[in-house]
Amino acid sequence: MKVPVEITVNGTRHRSEVEPRLLLVHYLRDVLDLTGTHVGCETGLCGACTILLDGEAVKSCMMLAVQANVRAVETVEGLSVEGELDAVQRGFWEEHGLQCGFCTPGMLLSAHDLLRRSPQPTEEEIQRAIHGNLCRCTGYQTIVKAIQNAGDKMRAGKPSAASSSPSTRGRR
Amino acid sequence: MMNLDEIFVTRNWVGKSVRRDEDIRLIKGEAAYVDDLDMDCAHVAFLRSVYAHARITKIDTSKAEALPGVIAVVTGPEVAKQTKPIVARAITQPAIQYVMADKKVRYVGEPLVAVAAVDRYIAEDALELIDVEYEPLPVVVEIADALKKDSPLIFEEAGSNVLLHDTLEHGNMDAAYQEADLVVKEHFRVHRYSSTPLETWAMIAKHEKGNDSFVVWANDQQPGRSTANVCNTLGIPNNRFRLIVPDSGGGFGIKLAIWPHIVILCLLAKKVDKPVKWVQTRREHLLGGSHAPDCDVEIELPMKKDGKILGLFIKDIENDGSFVHTAGIYGLIKFATMVGCYDIRATRAELLSVVTQKGPTVQNRGVGKPTMIFVLERMMDIAAKKLGLDPVEIRFRNFIQPKQMPYTTPSGEIYESGNYPECLQKALSLSGYDELKKRQIEMRKNGKYIGLGISAGIEPGTSNLGYYYTSRGVPEYMGNAEGAIVSIDYDGNVNVVMGSVDQGQGHATTISQVIADMLDIHPERVSVDSHLDSLVSPFLGHSGAYSNKFNDVDLGAVIMATKKVRDKMVRIASHVLGVETGGLQVKNGAVCSRKDEQKSVSFQEIASLAYKKILLLPEGVEPGLKEIAYYKNPMAKLPSRDDFNVQITHSNSVHVVAVEVDVETGEITFLKYVIVHDCGKQLNPGIVEGMTIGSTVHGIGAALLEEFVYDENGQPLSASFMDYMKPLAGGLPRIELAHMESPCPYTLLGTKAVGEGGAIGSVAAVANAVEDALSPFQVKVVSLPITPQKVVKAVKETKEI
Amino acid sequence: MIPSKFEYFAPASLAEAVSLLSKYQEEAKPLAGGQSLISLLKLRLASLKYLVDLAGIAELNYIREEGAGPSGTISIGALTTYAQIKESKLLQSKCPLLPQTASVVGDVQVRNRGTLGGSLAHADPAGDMPAAILALKAELKAVGPQGERWIQADDFFLGMMETALSPDEILSEIRVPVLPDHKMIYRKAARRPSDFAMVGIALCLKARDDQTCEEISIGVTGVTDKPYRAEETEKRLRGKKLEPKIIEEAASAITEGVDVMENMHASQDFRSHLARVYVSRAIAAAGIRS
Repeated sequence: MKVPVEITVNGTRHRSEVEPRLLLVHYLRDVLDLTGTHVGCETGLCGACTILLDGEAVKSCMMLAVQANVRAVETVEGLSVEGELDAVQRGFWEEHGLQCGFCTPGMLLSAHDLLRRSPQPTEEEIQRAIHGNLCRCTGYQTIVKAIQNAGDKMRAGKPSAASSSPSTRGRR
Repeated sequence: MMNLDEIFVTRNWVGKSVRRDEDIRLIKGEAAYVDDLDMDCAHVAFLRSVYAHARITKIDTSKAEALPGVIAVVTGPEVAKQTKPIVARAITQPAIQYVMADKKVRYVGEPLVAVAAVDRYIAEDALELIDVEYEPLPVVVEIADALKKDSPLIFEEAGSNVLLHDTLEHGNMDAAYQEADLVVKEHFRVHRYSSTPLETWAMIAKHEKGNDSFVVWANDQQPGRSTANVCNTLGIPNNRFRLIVPDSGGGFGIKLAIWPHIVILCLLAKKVDKPVKWVQTRREHLLGGSHAPDCDVEIELPMKKDGKILGLFIKDIENDGSFVHTAGIYGLIKFATMVGCYDIRATRAELLSVVTQKGPTVQNRGVGKPTMIFVLERMMDIAAKKLGLDPVEIRFRNFIQPKQMPYTTPSGEIYESGNYPECLQKALSLSGYDELKKRQIEMRKNGKYIGLGISAGIEPGTSNLGYYYTSRGVPEYMGNAEGAIVSIDYDGNVNVVMGSVDQGQGHATTISQVIADMLDIHPERVSVDSHLDSLVSPFLGHSGAYSNKFNDVDLGAVIMATKKVRDKMVRIASHVLGVETGGLQVKNGAVCSRKDEQKSVSFQEIASLAYKKILLLPEGVEPGLKEIAYYKNPMAKLPSRDDFNVQITHSNSVHVVAVEVDVETGEITFLKYVIVHDCGKQLNPGIVEGMTIGSTVHGIGAALLEEFVYDENGQPLSASFMDYMKPLAGGLPRIELAHMESPCPYTLLGTKAVGEGGAIGSVAAVANAVEDALSPFQVKVVSLPITPQKVVKAVKETKEI
Repeated sequence: MIPSKFEYFAPASLAEAVSLLSKYQEEAKPLAGGQSLISLLKLRLASLKYLVDLAGIAELNYIREEGAGPSGTISIGALTTYAQIKESKLLQSKCPLLPQTASVVGDVQVRNRGTLGGSLAHADPAGDMPAAILALKAELKAVGPQGERWIQADDFFLGMMETALSPDEILSEIRVPVLPDHKMIYRKAARRPSDFAMVGIALCLKARDDQTCEEISIGVTGVTDKPYRAEETEKRLRGKKLEPKIIEEAASAITEGVDVMENMHASQDFRSHLARVYVSRAIAAAGIRS
């Protein structure tokens, strides 16, 4: 039996009827077609599915969609404003904080959770903040730098430091 | 190395840490991995064997088929009737295996039934309704079990669980033993682990009813080979199969053999009126998504008292699990560079591939080299200890010297360039090795145990896959080559299509840097499609991403195709400007006269002629500006038993590690980690650094954390990321990286292998450091991974990890 | 990796939740943060027909001090998350063991969703919070169809994922004493920082200036099928001077009377050894007056 839910995603309110067993990550990916949130392990151990729920990082594969009823979800698709990368995204780009990119959306949102609580985190704090996010490509070193870089940008109050908008000409 | 002036017209971009072009779509969540493709699909779930070895006596799918929402079902026995067995490559014994279990199951996780349903939820519900009856058979899990005389046979037709047994000898080993003052021997056991990319295997198959053909989207890492294998296994002509590879979330070799599942999906797609999609679950991935084999290595070094090594013997037994396609490969590639960085003039390698009831194996990052360097570099320390030599000194005494380059190993591999002694020297000084040694002595007085570990490793690149067939005879595939298409479009911009694929290595960015300097344009004007479509991409029988081949043959093909396009543009410009081609140059996105740069015609104008004003083209020039090139490295030759020259480039590195071991808890903490790395010319140092550090952490995980554990019934105990422990951001060293640059004379740009090196050198370095830390307790490290439990037990009782 | 079908309820009050549970009994289960239960459902290890989501019950999320002085207590609503506990200034100053323990549970995402009540009711044998609750000698309030009752922490954990709660009862509140003169420490042995404990030791210790142990309680997790109090070790320390020899001798009793678990990460021997080492280190660290 389906149940009604009302979930605000990236600022837009969505009303849907869902099966109670529908996982939040599948709601985002399959119902709303927001495929930036990834599934990497299904057991809540890799963090690729991390989103923000009312501003806090949570794993969307460890939640039912019904648990997000009348709450606000933010996904990677909601980070950039009018196509401009936000400070965290920019930090990742500038510091080479990704390779295959599969863990990246989750990393970005964990970084947001951290920088909101602690605007000037130490290296160790950053490492602790991404314990729930696995990356196989980078060895984390450049991810830590990327988050430091993002923190610097946010404290300087310049979410998008450079004026030029990076192109998206690479073919998908 | 080609004269760079023949390739580049500027040097503005190559060699710089240009930010990656690929990143923007990945960072914005706009990437299109297979599971993200917007298609109305049926979803597939697999019922997999719960036994390691059992005869299948009944499969009843009727209840599942009756479940509303279920569209189609195929079982192993049905698939076996419609397909050819999986093709074997390295093994010499006959072993018949189908893409799904047929009469019996051979490992936990082997596919038995595939169900397609309207969504993945119902597909999984249906699995619970399938009734399978098994008749359990005795199981064979470890190498020792497989080798027993009365061991149950996994492939009866093979007559043995040993599917390959070969000995390759080069140089005079008998003389080496005779001349030796001593023979240092050891026996190592290396565990099973895997790169486990964050994105699992994923694929969509669509059957075109009209012409009975298939289109498949899959995160395949070797589409050239997969295309052939799928068509062969299905018994369909090549032109009835189209493979498309979109974005891929990490590979590391683990996506080199996903094709058996493509075969299954195709058969299901035939029964369904829309595309069928399968995204492997993580559990499926850990059970049967391929591992590096565990192995037993006996090693002997006949030596002189002064530390000089005269010969190297290994007996290498690989537990290749239960996948005949890759069985036997690891031993052969290990053997190719078994002497590592050392001038050892005689080698003997006895190689065995055994089948067991562990999961399938595949080429995992570094393929065998992490193990070979682990045993060799462990032996250097063990030999040094035996001879009372410093571990640094024994390495200096055996290194291949720069003046010996190019150096041919006894088996025929040619090391083209490199300065191994200087690399070690540099790593020692960068790490403050002598200071650390002093600190070690001080700290021991306070009951703190720190240890230093060194490893010197070789990272080969551009493998000639013909070596697979060494023990069988004539290779079915061979050569170190790749293809590319480069075109100039109407706007004078550049488009590139590759025969290879990318799993995060930044190929597109690197290619755009190279082309930018070949045509004097901004890299933003170069668009690279590093995805693959077998209908249009210029691929070869082994095309794909493997063996660090990108900056040799992949780039070689790009350079050659770009040169063709450039030459054609110059020819058209010559006609337009009335200047001989010799008097022209490419500058700032245009072709102009060397004497008078005002005499110039832009790429866009040239393209306008080539595409639109075709009648204005000079006589004999074809319309269009699109060129294809296949580039074969000229050094490639047919590998044979006597001349086993398999790989073209050989990067090298030295890792120096300092760890502290808490002998009460077994906890290991990193104090220092330094790498000096020589991969020839670097095209994008940021990308090189990223891959080297990531690769190193991979090896640290293998050394300390990651292991596929099986119980005595062949049941896998590491079936989630809870128990298969990948490194997390904490607890890792901050890795310091420095470079040397010995250009490769055999690649167009002087580049060498990048990507696997960190994973090759780190395992040995960490193990050496741990043993050094525990030297007051006389503990020897001969197995992996080094877990807290093993450390404590070794310190207290066994003296052996 | 998809849960089986179930029916979903989101009651707005505790009473409503209790009445649903008492109606469906074993076929129903309450859902708190879901960081353990959702995983079990996805693996189809737990199957149930009715899921009662407690998240909508506002009255279960709070941290407040009741009474003042040495006899004061702090009450924590069962749906309070690890993150809230970790960041609570009140707990940090008056019951630091809970924030300390909560800060090493899983990872950030787990701590943002997982709840204290959920952790205790789930009773994972390697959970961190149960050890702290035992060391604090907390009291747990269960609400059922017959009303409420208080359960001592010592009586709460019965076995592998088994507690004193009946299927129609909900754990609603955890009450911990304010112990101003106590040192509190949680030490955990895990392969990686976010992993479950191979051994976890929670310690509350009151020592005099001369290092004599006045009062001690030790909660142990990860060692056997349920978290437990190390009573023999406590007994050997109470009234004694905290000297290395005494500590070592007391630590040797940490697994006394306990059937030590074994898995691929730690054999019985190694786990027992770790328990001894960790309890010694915890006591040594706490015994030194700052």
